[in-house]
Amino acid sequence: MADTDGFLERHHFLLRRLHSLTGIAPISLFLMFHLTTNASIVWGRLAGHDGLTGADAAVGTFQHEVNFIHSMPMLLLIEIFGLWLPIGFHAVLGVAYALGGKNNTTQYAYQANRRYALQRLSGYFGFLFIFYHVATLRWGWTFLVPGGTQWTGEHAASTMAAAIRGSAEGFTAAGMIVAIFYMVGVSLLVFHLANGLWTSAITWGLTTTEQAQKRWGHVCTAIGAGLMLAAWSSVIGFATLDYDAARAVELGLQGAEHAPEPASEVMPGMAAKEIDETETGG
Amino acid sequence: MTASTAATANGTTSSAGNAPAQADRTINFRIKRCDGPGKPSRWETFAVPVGRGANVISCLQQIAARPVTTEGTRTTPVVWDANCLEEVCGACTMVINGKVRQSCSALIDTIAPREGDTVSLEPMTKFPIIRDLWVDRARIFDNLKRVKAWVPIDGTYALGPGPRESADSQTTRYILSTCMTCGCCMEACPQFLIAENEHEWETAFIGAQAISQARLFNMHGTGKQLKGDRLDALMGPGGITDCGNAQNCVQVCPKEIPLTESIGVIGRAATVHAIASWFSGR
Repeated sequence: MADTDGFLERHHFLLRRLHSLTGIAPISLFLMFHLTTNASIVWGRLAGHDGLTGADAAVGTFQHEVNFIHSMPMLLLIEIFGLWLPIGFHAVLGVAYALGGKNNTTQYAYQANRRYALQRLSGYFGFLFIFYHVATLRWGWTFLVPGGTQWTGEHAASTMAAAIRGSAEGFTAAGMIVAIFYMVGVSLLVFHLANGLWTSAITWGLTTTEQAQKRWGHVCTAIGAGLMLAAWSSVIGFATLDYDAARAVELGLQGAEHAPEPASEVMPGMAAKEIDETETGG
Repeated sequence: MTASTAATANGTTSSAGNAPAQADRTINFRIKRCDGPGKPSRWETFAVPVGRGANVISCLQQIAARPVTTEGTRTTPVVWDANCLEEVCGACTMVINGKVRQSCSALIDTIAPREGDTVSLEPMTKFPIIRDLWVDRARIFDNLKRVKAWVPIDGTYALGPGPRESADSQTTRYILSTCMTCGCCMEACPQFLIAENEHEWETAFIGAQAISQARLFNMHGTGKQLKGDRLDALMGPGGITDCGNAQNCVQVCPKEIPLTESIGVIGRAATVHAIASWFSGR
């Protein structure tokens, strides 16, 4: 028996359940924090930040959040073991599992069946999107960014705006495609999260009656709607940001806070370059 | 398994071949034909005079008695499988107008109410074809063996009367017990794919039917002795974890069996069984 059964067969149940578990934690939990943080580019306007108001307060709030994340100890380890490996595991197994099914929504156009198909489509698309997102903004693959903007932790909002619009000055044609790619990407991923939470409750056996599945469906819809709002706020917030004003706020904050140094631990080359630029340019 | 052509159809339809007494209109049947395993498929259309109370089976009997297409070509009688003619055996399951269901309960007045309406008939796609609309559903029986869907009573001594069953349990189990092994839930499932070779059956997705039957027998006072075996089988490749929650099964089930609830219940049992097994060292 053990000779004929490979690793994947012997640990079939464990792998499938780990696939489900990684989707819930850490990935869903992370995405909730991530989208809430990014949406501060909109809700930060309401909160105010250190005497700043309006859009400036949003830039300040977002910068504050980014500084907090970059000040976390062992950030690279958290990223590798808390994010990249679980997401990679979930994505690779997810694609392999999805290839084992065959959509039939034309024949059976039931709502749940359409969600089944969209869950797989959003998985494929989301995998591509997350790879682009992390590669360009975190790993510095600027050759994939129109205009070649390098996102930096010290100029979190302004470089994000430039990266998503294709230039510091405003939208370019290629930048428009990036912005649309972001909008579609985050929307599909939020759907994937909400629908995945709903199906995982059946997988693990939490919702064992139709009524319970319906109830949990309402909860998942509410979670999805809230996250969708945060996701759209983030993309639209950065896409419509005033670059020069944001830059000024960020430079002002650096003067006040003496520029956060922990970021250099994570991205030594980049951070050093950015600090140089700040000193000569500002 | 009985293949019924006009020649072997049961005696209640002695008038087969003659137009029904009160034929009031003519409808067309577009039928996907196939001469045998591995042979190519083709479509043929037949005009059939119908009256009140006609069903797909009675129309197939008329076609079998006079196998002439609308182009006037004489062809072979269409072969199909049927038995009870009252939707309790599942043998006459086929794809009617794009959706899987029993042909005996597919009433012409409902599915083709007007003169000249067309009804399309295809064999199920998830089971190996024998001929025309007749498929080999042996894999379903094999799936039931995989999950030991029976009550163990064989032995060397009398076991005495079984344990009493509560009214609650009876209510839950009754609807599960109405499953007629027809194959609808598997035909409509995007995760259940055709497996021509028997050796693939052990690891291919087992489908909602066997999962629900495992639940039925796990609830039985004596049948629950095999609960562990059933869960072990369902936790392997092709078991409960291969469900993609498209929920087409529950939509197409002619007996309205709560298949998605069964999937949730077995999901819960598998979760508990996995944790218990891990701690008990099995």
